[in-house]
Amino acid sequence: MEEFNSGEEVVFNTDEASVSVKECIEGVIGGTDYNQSKVNQWTASIVEHSLTHLVKQGRPFKYIVNCTIMQKSGAGLHTANSCYWDTATDGSCTVRWENRTMYCVVSVFAVTL
Amino acid sequence: MEGSDTYLIRPNHQHKFKPAIVKECIREIVRERLSGMQYDPEEVPELSRSLADCIKDKVKNSGFERYKLVVQVVIGEQRGQGVKMSSRCLWDSDTDSYAEDVFMNDSLFCVVAVFGSYYY
Repeated sequence: MEEFNSGEEVVFNTDEASVSVKECIEGVIGGTDYNQSKVNQWTASIVEHSLTHLVKQGRPFKYIVNCTIMQKSGAGLHTANSCYWDTATDGSCTVRWENRTMYCVVSVFAVTL
Repeated sequence: MEGSDTYLIRPNHQHKFKPAIVKECIREIVRERLSGMQYDPEEVPELSRSLADCIKDKVKNSGFERYKLVVQVVIGEQRGQGVKMSSRCLWDSDTDSYAEDVFMNDSLFCVVAVFGSYYY
């Protein structure tokens, strides 16, 4: 009988996650300009695709994926996060992406079960 | 995680993550720290970090033992631009939840989201 968890420590792989998320962003908004009426469906679809890719990795994690899209207007934006978790196994990664008309920031948090 | 009852796989009602209480926590701290503040690109990085730590400590002490917390604070300048923020979570909806709040004044806006995940 195959064991689901072989008892080894599972650690969140930030590099793999950030590559995966970057591809999702490119796939949804790569080559488009900021459009107020489409922003809703863009954020929803970036977040859903990222989550699906993460889940496909089959690791024993709970995920929280957050996406912010902001129009470029010279304004500043800052994101900070503070987490109470097991630093040995849990982790997060943030991906920043921009084009001529907008910024996109996606954060992924993974906590073990 | 010390103490008895480590066999519990579901929180009992008192220890469940209550979004309303956490939202109140967030609101108090944000209003106290940001009312009357102007957006200053030098100060804001430090401000957002300390706000996140402050909120995390307050929620931790509100009695949600067995919950892992993720607090995210986004502060931006108001210049009439459009912003959209959305989240999706893969978790156990019986035990896990989130709370969020938005604060705006003339020169900045601040969005805080707190996610709580039960540690089995």
